[in-house]
Amino acid sequence: MKSFVCRCEQVVAIVRKDFVVSLRRRAALAAMMMFALTATAALSLSTSGVVEPKILSALLWVIIFFAAGAGVAGTFDDEAQAGTLPTLKLYADAQAVLFGKMIHVLASLISLTVFIVPTFLILFDADVADGLLMVATLLLGLIGLSAAGTLTAALTTSAVAKGGLFPILLFPVTLPIFLPAISLTEAALTGAAFDGGSLVMMMMFDAMLVTAASILYDYL
Amino acid sequence: MNKILIVLTAAIVAAIIFFVPPIRGLGELAKIIFFHVPTAWVAVIAFFTGAWYAAKFLRTNDFTADELSARAAKLGFVFVLLSTASGAIFSKLTWGAYWNWDPRQTTIFVLILIYGAYLTLRSAVADEKVRAKVSAVYSLFSVLTVPFLVFIVPRMFFSLHPEPVLNSSGRVQMDTVVLIVLIASVIDATLLFVQLMRRS
Repeated sequence: MKSFVCRCEQVVAIVRKDFVVSLRRRAALAAMMMFALTATAALSLSTSGVVEPKILSALLWVIIFFAAGAGVAGTFDDEAQAGTLPTLKLYADAQAVLFGKMIHVLASLISLTVFIVPTFLILFDADVADGLLMVATLLLGLIGLSAAGTLTAALTTSAVAKGGLFPILLFPVTLPIFLPAISLTEAALTGAAFDGGSLVMMMMFDAMLVTAASILYDYL
Repeated sequence: MNKILIVLTAAIVAAIIFFVPPIRGLGELAKIIFFHVPTAWVAVIAFFTGAWYAAKFLRTNDFTADELSARAAKLGFVFVLLSTASGAIFSKLTWGAYWNWDPRQTTIFVLILIYGAYLTLRSAVADEKVRAKVSAVYSLFSVLTVPFLVFIVPRMFFSLHPEPVLNSSGRVQMDTVVLIVLIASVIDATLLFVQLMRRS
């Protein structure tokens, strides 16, 4: 059994590298933001912004999910296309690569959320009754999406039709996060009493996704 | 084995037609439950079998294990489709709607999505070694959702499904003939799956 060794400096270096690359080539981040904005505008226009809180919270998570797909799917593929992935794996430990990418994906998704959630609330004229619950739910949801999304992006590196494949692979494994996230977001919007067990379930599932991604990435 | 399976299946079909009493108020078509429960059972068994062979492949790099994992997924996909269709018919008869996102319907639908995603992933990767590796990883990754979908989600949301045969009170709430035929059909479907897995 391998003992745990923190390759923290390698993880930080990979996060920094990905951050610099994403600043230089803004396509992935821009695609993610624009997808979310376009979807939000289309939904708000078609419904005149009048939607029940339950549907509203489901719409928000659907937008985040598919926008994340637009930005995260190429996490490893961009490296593979540029021919830098083998070199990266040569210089850094596999776990450092995975966690470096995962942290970068999480940071990208947080940026997306910081941009899209206020826009979404404005376009649907919705208020947040419980801000703390909203932030906690979004953060837990994004952690799960980052863990599952990073491993899924690694799986689809050698596949054809990646764009379509990514959400197909990601949705089933993140559904146990989606269901509680939608009900908790609804509670955050309405201020209704919420089930603390759903938050615990999201935390547990996040931990499981991160652990499984870490174990399984070594086999790729 | 094939002959035993044919005789057993014929005996079960005969028992369902001639010995099992019609379900009150639902008619003969409701006997589709004897098809629905075994196919759902095999769909879940196939899922774990696929994951077991996926783990075996990652441990040993034996491509026979990858082949068996893929076969289990293909069979599981067929069984889960049959289970979903028969379940929808039973749902229409008992609750008046083919689909209502009951937690168990949700769980079985997610199983369809996982099988579909797994098989799509296999078809999207050309290189045999890479395909075997990524498929095995996805198979094991997706199995993590099962405890949540099977044990937690059905308890989080209201279910129209009847209580399990062996419920929390520990009592069997089913007619003896119905119970025997149901258990026999589950065994028959499991043996059919085993036989199909063994086919080269």
